Amino acid sequence: MTACNQFSSRSTRRAMLRNSACGFGQLAFSALLAKSSLALNAPQASPLSPKPPHFPARAKRIIFLFMWGGPSQVDTFDPKPLLNASDGKFPSSEVESGDRSKGGKLLGSPFRFSQHGQSGVWISELFPQLSQQADRLCVIRSVHTEGSAHGEALLRLHTGQANLVRPSVGAWLSYGLGCESESLPAYITISPPRGHGGVQNYGSAFLPAMHQGTAIGSAEIPIAKAQVSNVGNTRIANRLQREQLDLIQTLNRDHLRDATADQGIEGLIANYELAFRMQATIPAVMNIDGETKETQELYGIGVEPTDNFGRQCLLARKFAEEGVRYIQVSTDYTWDHHKKLKEGLITESAKVDRPIAGLLTDLARRGLLEDTLVVWGAEFGRTPTAENEDGRNHHPRAFTMWLAGGGVKGGLTYGSTDDFGFQPVEKPVHMHDLHATLLYAMGLDHKRLTYRHAGRDFRLTDVHGNVVQEIWA
Amino acid sequence: MFRLLHFIPIALATAVGLMPSWSMADDASANYFEKQIRPLLAKHCYRCHSERSKDPEAGLLLDSRMGWIEGGQTGASIIPGDPDASLLIRAVRYSDPELQMPPIKPLSVDEVAKLEHWVRIGAPGPIGIDLVPTEEPSDPSLGKSHWAFRPLRIDSPSMHPSNEWSGSSIDRLIAERLEKAGLHPVDDADPRDLLKRLYFQLIGLPPSPEEIQAFIDDTSSDALERTVDRLLASPRFGERWGRHWLDLARYADSNGLDENFLFREAWRYRNWVIARVNDDMPYDRFLLEQIAGDLLDYDSIEQRDQQRIAAGFLVIGPKVLLGNNERNQRMEVADEQMDTLGRAILGQTLGCARCHDHKFDPIPTADYYALAGIFASTRVMESRYMLGQQRLMERLVGLGSRGDIADDAYEAYWRGHPDLKEKKKRADAVLEVLRQDHCEELDALLQENAAGLAESVRDTRKSLDERISAQEAFIKTLAASLNSPPPIPPRAMIPADVDVPSDENIRLAGQFDRLGEVVPRGSLRVLMDDAPMEISSTESGRTALARWLTDESGRASQLVARVQANRVWYHLMGVGLVRTVDNFGRTGEQPSHPELLDYLAGQLIDSGWSVKALVRQIVLSRTFTLSSDFNQANDAIDPENRLLWRAHRRRLDPESFRDAMLTAAGQLDLTPMDSSVSYLGDQATAVGANKVRRRTDFPCRSIYLPVIRNDLPELFNVFDFADPHTTTGARSKTIVPTQGLFVLNDAMVMDASEATARRILAIAPKNDTDAKIDLMFERILNARPSNVETQAMRSFLIRTEESLCSENASDPEVRALAIACHALFASSRFQFLE
Repeated sequence: MTACNQFSSRSTRRAMLRNSACGFGQLAFSALLAKSSLALNAPQASPLSPKPPHFPARAKRIIFLFMWGGPSQVDTFDPKPLLNASDGKFPSSEVESGDRSKGGKLLGSPFRFSQHGQSGVWISELFPQLSQQADRLCVIRSVHTEGSAHGEALLRLHTGQANLVRPSVGAWLSYGLGCESESLPAYITISPPRGHGGVQNYGSAFLPAMHQGTAIGSAEIPIAKAQVSNVGNTRIANRLQREQLDLIQTLNRDHLRDATADQGIEGLIANYELAFRMQATIPAVMNIDGETKETQELYGIGVEPTDNFGRQCLLARKFAEEGVRYIQVSTDYTWDHHKKLKEGLITESAKVDRPIAGLLTDLARRGLLEDTLVVWGAEFGRTPTAENEDGRNHHPRAFTMWLAGGGVKGGLTYGSTDDFGFQPVEKPVHMHDLHATLLYAMGLDHKRLTYRHAGRDFRLTDVHGNVVQEIWA
Repeated sequence: MFRLLHFIPIALATAVGLMPSWSMADDASANYFEKQIRPLLAKHCYRCHSERSKDPEAGLLLDSRMGWIEGGQTGASIIPGDPDASLLIRAVRYSDPELQMPPIKPLSVDEVAKLEHWVRIGAPGPIGIDLVPTEEPSDPSLGKSHWAFRPLRIDSPSMHPSNEWSGSSIDRLIAERLEKAGLHPVDDADPRDLLKRLYFQLIGLPPSPEEIQAFIDDTSSDALERTVDRLLASPRFGERWGRHWLDLARYADSNGLDENFLFREAWRYRNWVIARVNDDMPYDRFLLEQIAGDLLDYDSIEQRDQQRIAAGFLVIGPKVLLGNNERNQRMEVADEQMDTLGRAILGQTLGCARCHDHKFDPIPTADYYALAGIFASTRVMESRYMLGQQRLMERLVGLGSRGDIADDAYEAYWRGHPDLKEKKKRADAVLEVLRQDHCEELDALLQENAAGLAESVRDTRKSLDERISAQEAFIKTLAASLNSPPPIPPRAMIPADVDVPSDENIRLAGQFDRLGEVVPRGSLRVLMDDAPMEISSTESGRTALARWLTDESGRASQLVARVQANRVWYHLMGVGLVRTVDNFGRTGEQPSHPELLDYLAGQLIDSGWSVKALVRQIVLSRTFTLSSDFNQANDAIDPENRLLWRAHRRRLDPESFRDAMLTAAGQLDLTPMDSSVSYLGDQATAVGANKVRRRTDFPCRSIYLPVIRNDLPELFNVFDFADPHTTTGARSKTIVPTQGLFVLNDAMVMDASEATARRILAIAPKNDTDAKIDLMFERILNARPSNVETQAMRSFLIRTEESLCSENASDPEVRALAIACHALFASSRFQFLE
């Protein structure tokens, strides 16, 4: 059982009981092995039972806050005085970079920046609540990727690859570490985008299907109305459904007796029980009525414009508590500010600032932040030059993401870009590097986490990726 | 640049000089051997007990299954499934003073436990070892010795003894192996199970109760044969076997990947496949038309169009559409086509040779770019106006004798559409100015907007009112044209050769802008004897390629036939003779029955590439008719049933699951469907305001449901449908909770359950619960209930009906029966085929 407990640092008695058979995975696997009378202390368990990491993990779970559309870095976390001073001028050809910035005039930021906290991290006035937690943030200003269209960039962000279907980051983590909970999947995505790659962004590709992300709603649906598909039955009451399931299982066991030790039938029997548990657990976790008024207010729930994202962030915390390893929270497609950048950023940041600050506070006071890595970012940033006079275009060459908790150094600003924000100049962090770093945080070596498919071994970072080492406390 | 190869150090460290071929139950056990056992054996044992050790100690080899099963001087070192009886385990336990290994230092407790576990689960591992000179794995002439590239070896069947059990050639080859291994085939399947198996495997639908009864009653010797012939001739056959091909062809109704644009015309290709499978078009012609249909001669416009539609095979792949360099895109598209063709037809992973010589298979980079020249000389993209702009999209061609003209007119309208909109905007502005009688502005506008006004507006002699009404009329015409686009003409996705076909440069490290030397267009040299492929300078070379693939005098056809025969066997028997059905390379598996595979491949070629003839021959074998009964003695020897001592029990695929459910419900409409996506916008998956989503509520057979990449029908998604982004020869077989949730809660399942219940109530005698139960089992499971089943069902029905009554639920009888039917659809007997 050590493998089980290795990851449940916060295991309560309830959780211990629940996990005492190492989750569903173990259940199914022990059923499979009944034939060969293998004891439960088998050195190898099922694909879903918890697995030890390659080395001690810094974080036990990741919450990724995805700002779909691509917020501008030079208006949020990467101040550029020279850009402001050069507003309206054409950039010199030496600095200008990127397919989409060509021909545009430099556009200064309409927002004031100041330094915050003990560490003096620069944050613009768009995030007043988050600024109060500056000392928790590790701001990486030198992220870069490929793909100047949303679809390609989203796929690269989520799967490391765009022209081939590859497993998503969360699926790799589920595959690498297994599932901590008996009745919840390892990977949950809250309000995922339906376009720009859609389900491929949380898919398992060639990894076994149990590793794909379980979606709650989708980006355009308010989270309060969102559901996990087919969890719950509107026509058959719960008690009656249990009786129906008992009948199904009686028939199945009768079949199994005739068939003698058939793995498929055994798996089916175990699987129905798991499904039935899941459909009780998921709605229970998604119900936020049990949270105090103070907590709900902390996330900005019940008031606009923060209610929706606040609920999403609170759900993320609840799933984190329940042992889900990778939780993504997505905004709607609202950060794509080709015009009216100023108005757009004011509107969008107001929706997420308090919820994100609330999430960090709540995780910290529950003792969860130290082993939960919170990641904020998007598929790309935006050009330092103007588009449509008052907007910015897509810019994958250099943009900002930040991390918090999960063992990172708070109050750190890592990497830098040139005077205008066109290119990284110090410590560039490619998307593959970020992926390698996320796996590293979870105790996995991105070069060793491989899966054999179509005659060769695949990994998240393909042949790339370097772990960013200097950001760890 | 994205496809650089890598592989784990473990594989490198231990496989140097040796290329294993695999005998793995599944990925999990393959992984277990690779990750846990091989490193352990390599570290502690291989110095003395492997092919590489110059003089293996005691003659024992531990790097292949053959090695450890045959064992050394002291006998078999491993008895799969029985650690206590295995010498190797005894040795590593160090409990026997006479037998202790490794000799110097015992293994750790953990390592011993791993080995014990591995033996207990059957000691999965590579079957044998192909010796390959590691220095040149990609050398085509050395590679010719790999089993899959060798000429077919077909003995006369009479060389293999027959007995009462093994009448046919297939059975002789199966029986011979069974006998050698000490296995005895189980009994034949019950006629009911056999008929159900036949129906699902050949047409994907269950037999009706009447058909079952007729089959049971028919005692004539050719009853089975006649049933098989009837099913082969049924149009339903193509709807099942066509789908097998569509899995390989990565068929979809949308692009997928980054921009999920609708493939409005892809269904024509889907229906072409179904029709040709029904016609039993010879497999060589079937390939020729899909690779080069647009280049072939024709006798009629209809034939021309059908051949062109076939070549849509090359066009329907997924592509990164936005933000992609056009030259890069051309190589990406060629790569995708080659990947599909390579795996689907040749069982080869060509893509590995894009960036460097293949690390396992005899495919040098030069051969990759020889083939790439053919596909890069083929055009599948064109500039079209869509969703407000010119885009590089899949090439469409009008069908019918005047198709080109209709298509041109349609495209011209949309090309002109932005101008028309602009014109209308300006005309509106002019009208506004006229109405306000601002003459000075009008002059300026007249200068600017020559196109935006009616002729008579310029005519200052006319009254203002006249000029206004002239402009109004003009605007009305513009608006009419804007609001009534011409209907979409019949079109299809069709490739063409580029104007100037050319050979390709090798791309260094696979990067499209790093040019190496030019290689003449051609194909894999490992499959050629001497003469290079002859390709005229004026064509892409697709026709030559397609003909080369199935030229019976060449090497390629032998591989093509092996791959296809193995697929047919896989679909009928549930497991391929080569289980890695898309990989016949060195990292793939060796055939369990090499002679049988070659025999079937030979039959395929000799029958004039008739797939139906091959299907017929296999299903009429004794082997196909075996039951799936368990047998302890056989299981101890061959737990994976590799040698086919019984039939493999199989789970229904989602198409059959749905079609069988709708059949029981009396709701399945067998009329073939054309497009099932015509109501969708150009964005196949909704983003933002575009909310129209693919429908799945058609009563058609499942093959006609929309296959939107990244938005499959949920049923397909949860039940392991083939990912339509890529070639899938063998769908994965997962058991995940979303399947349970779907079956327990999905509305479609419950609707079908209720319809089934109503049908049963309509014919069942009143108040006769057991009669209802018999009918349920007959209609849903095509079986009779056992006593246990009848009892469980009876008490459930009575209890449920009572409790629904007490809750004053409406229609308690129907509802109780519906919930019981639902339970049967959810049961393993419905979801598995014996």
